Amino acid sequence: MVLVFLTFNILAFGATTSTQVPMLEAPVMVVSAGQSPGALQFSVVAKMAKLPHTFEKLLRAEDFDPTKYKTLVLVVGASSKGLGAAGIDFEAEVKRVVALAEKAKAHKIPIVICHLEGATRRGPMSDRILDALAAYASIFMVKTSSDEDGKFKSLSEEFKVPLLYFQKTSDLKNIIQEHFVY
Amino acid sequence: MKRVFTFLFISVLVLTTALAVVSGSVVTSKYGVVAAANEYAARIGAEILERGGNALDAAIAVSFALGVAEPYASGIGGEGYAVVRLANGERYAVDFKSVAPALASYDKINGKLSSIKYTAKGACVPGVVAGAAEVWKIGATMPWAELIKPSIELARKGLVVNETFASVVSDTYERLLENAPEFLKEGMLAWEVGDIFTNPALANTLELIAKEGPAAFYKGKIADDIERFMLEHEGFMRKSDLENYKAVVREPLHGTYRGFDVYVPHPPVSGPQLLAILNILENFNLSAFSWEDPLAVHIIQQVLVLEDVDRRYFISDPDFFDLPTKGFISKEYAKTRLMELNLSKAMDPSTYFDHVGNAYAFEEGGTYEEVLLEGVKVSSVDPMDGYEFPSTTHFSVVDKYGNAVAWTQTLSSFFGTSMYVDGFFLNNEIGNFASTYREGDVINLEPGKRPRTTICPTIIEKDGKVRYVLGTPGGGRIISTITQLVVDLIDFGMSPEEAVKTPKFVGYAFYKDLRMEKGFPETTIRFLEEVLGHKVKLYEYPSLYFGGPNIVAVKSDGTMVGVGSIRRNGAAACPER
Repeated sequence: MVLVFLTFNILAFGATTSTQVPMLEAPVMVVSAGQSPGALQFSVVAKMAKLPHTFEKLLRAEDFDPTKYKTLVLVVGASSKGLGAAGIDFEAEVKRVVALAEKAKAHKIPIVICHLEGATRRGPMSDRILDALAAYASIFMVKTSSDEDGKFKSLSEEFKVPLLYFQKTSDLKNIIQEHFVY
Repeated sequence: MKRVFTFLFISVLVLTTALAVVSGSVVTSKYGVVAAANEYAARIGAEILERGGNALDAAIAVSFALGVAEPYASGIGGEGYAVVRLANGERYAVDFKSVAPALASYDKINGKLSSIKYTAKGACVPGVVAGAAEVWKIGATMPWAELIKPSIELARKGLVVNETFASVVSDTYERLLENAPEFLKEGMLAWEVGDIFTNPALANTLELIAKEGPAAFYKGKIADDIERFMLEHEGFMRKSDLENYKAVVREPLHGTYRGFDVYVPHPPVSGPQLLAILNILENFNLSAFSWEDPLAVHIIQQVLVLEDVDRRYFISDPDFFDLPTKGFISKEYAKTRLMELNLSKAMDPSTYFDHVGNAYAFEEGGTYEEVLLEGVKVSSVDPMDGYEFPSTTHFSVVDKYGNAVAWTQTLSSFFGTSMYVDGFFLNNEIGNFASTYREGDVINLEPGKRPRTTICPTIIEKDGKVRYVLGTPGGGRIISTITQLVVDLIDFGMSPEEAVKTPKFVGYAFYKDLRMEKGFPETTIRFLEEVLGHKVKLYEYPSLYFGGPNIVAVKSDGTMVGVGSIRRNGAAACPER
């Protein structure tokens, strides 16, 4: 029973790798990387957590003002439908988010790579985006069902970047409240 | 782990508290079988059979249950079609397609229909409740309310959200958050795998329908609520549209395929198209091939394309047009279509619509020699393009008495308009009319017209006995998948399970490529591309894109085999005795 309770708490409120978890600051810019609805879901949870943030689905590097934001959140999830609706092709989307990450890194703005739509949003396109962005990550925030194959764990180890797991999307609220200063 | 734990716990709870029914991806029984796209719904149908209900009773119960368990794919705000075969040999085609509201017109939308698909204006008058009532009148044996009761309980007690449910909600999240936040978890979050989804608002609505009958929906409180919603959201539908709605009951269309009798729906759905396809394929000795043979794939795919082209000219609402249905499903007409095929090279996709046939010339009979010697040519307009969603749901039921029901129902897109009234979503069937008015097009929007769609619930008999009950969701892939099921079962001698599981491909007039599920041998793909000139596009296996076909097969000894929709977390279920 105790074991079950502990397991629940670890899964619900976040487990980390041994790497030091940085404190993140607000205001935060939340951007979609792949045009799935995951970024909107992050924004909804961020509102629940009262995190000061701006949500821009299609923000381009040239429109990102690094003086206004202290953290960049890139929510990964590729959706053909979303890309089609946004009128952007997949390769252009990868270039867009990599350019955004490069600009944030150049201005020493921490980058959160988040994946919260589970295994069904872990197709080849999502993984392409993830691979392109992993090197820029300051921290991964990942739903447990998004990492059934251990890809995020491997990336976390490879790039020595902390990884925070959450069980349900609503559990992300606790992670936001714990790891963002605002 | 916690998710798995919760799921197992609830599953065990459900299984132990339920009546004596068995479910799984494949079940075998002599006491009746239900195959569906959702296990809860399949089990509810099997419980009705276990309590002594017949296939019609079970089908009605499953229809309502699917609206609870798969609120994204169908429900009382939607429409559909059922083909019913009674043990006494009577057969019925129940058309409960939606109809365009009286106020709907191109003048009132200032643009394309696609711009209103996800608004209240996108909803046509729903037919599911009226359809269920017609099936009940045809030959149900249990009280109407008893058939809805399990769905009311399911909506109140809840169900465990599966991968399909969570994935569809996630895909549609933005629209749901804007239009139907009360459907979402805590009013704002997407439902996730393992969550317990309840829908008390729908339970209340179903209680009304159970108590007051279909009139509650078409004339009573629910009709009032829909009208109020429409007025608030500037939609077209009014209470008078609901009051005027009627499901239509006919005899199903009949065709034959290699000695089997095939019973399908009438226009405006794709029954005639399926028969036309089978008529052409009958001219090939397909059993000399195997399912993965590239030449067999080529022949079937090109026939599918040809008849999809025909569909766009010859299928619409029969109340609005004199359609050439008799000609379209004639064996002689099929011979003229056979002549369009090139066995050594794929048709150039840019010329697909040059290959439209002339089914009208066969309306009065006649041989293909006579017709072609007369030199009659069809006149046409270019049909409209349109994206068709992998939404919709299908289920198949056979009981121990010999009654059978094939039933397909839909909201059109997943979640339809995403407009949410009294716990259910309203369809967006208006998107199946021509996007803008086009002179001569058979699918121009008109008040009271039923939109054309590709659904095709099918019953196949041999020597007067039901052999297969089948169908699938899948938008533009529906007829391709059903055709392959029929060929796999009849020509390639597959078991129902093999037929459902075999990778699928598509022939569709607006797809310039040959879309295939992974699983075909590399040689097949290479041959199709390098020798026959197809451009192949591969999809993961299994893919919901190709639908969620399910089948109930009846063996010669009366044993029934049900196969649920493996592409959609579906199941088959049967009474234990």
